[in-house]
Amino acid sequence: MSMFRSKKMDIGSFLNIHVIRDHTKRKVYAQFEPERQALRHIIRNTTLPARTRAEAQLQLTQMHCYTRPTQIRGRCLMGGKGRGIFRDFKLSRYNFRMQALEGNLPGVRKASW
Amino acid sequence: MAVPRARLLSLMKAQCEIFSTTYNPDGIRMGNKILRQRLRGPSLAKYYPPKGPSLNELLKDFKHLELEGVNEEFEDWQEHIAGFVSTRATMGF
Repeated sequence: MSMFRSKKMDIGSFLNIHVIRDHTKRKVYAQFEPERQALRHIIRNTTLPARTRAEAQLQLTQMHCYTRPTQIRGRCLMGGKGRGIFRDFKLSRYNFRMQALEGNLPGVRKASW
Repeated sequence: MAVPRARLLSLMKAQCEIFSTTYNPDGIRMGNKILRQRLRGPSLAKYYPPKGPSLNELLKDFKHLELEGVNEEFEDWQEHIAGFVSTRATMGF
């Protein structure tokens, strides 16, 4: 959501709205992670009264969707694509192939046997 | 040789004190595994590379060393705007 978005762009990779959105979600998740973990701890602690735990459950589900880790998705640094990303290189499969063939990825070479 | 349960429990308690873990002989779910998890947020937030300085900022930073350069893209843009404004003026807007 735009209320979480930083006023000045602070990333230097390929930019489109999906990348900006994902970056915002990552920052919001980092900000709210302690709160989420505290609520998760309360929910899973069976020694606490049932009412407290139920309230914590409600509170966790009512947090903004940008604070959820499941909203975060690996995106390509060169093309912003959201599918077919190599996690180790943060590149989509096409960009990975192009960079690897150009020799920009250390230690990567085309298989041949 | 069977070891009495009380003795094992006291050993477990001592272990927990030494390694500062929670003494929980009955295996009650206390949610401590959540507290043991590390925070993933900072590493997730660093996924995209930070923005580097722009050419204009670099030129400004190195001016005191008497290093000068031309930001061609910026000047082309300025010329384009100047041309646009002058054509508008001749058309009488």
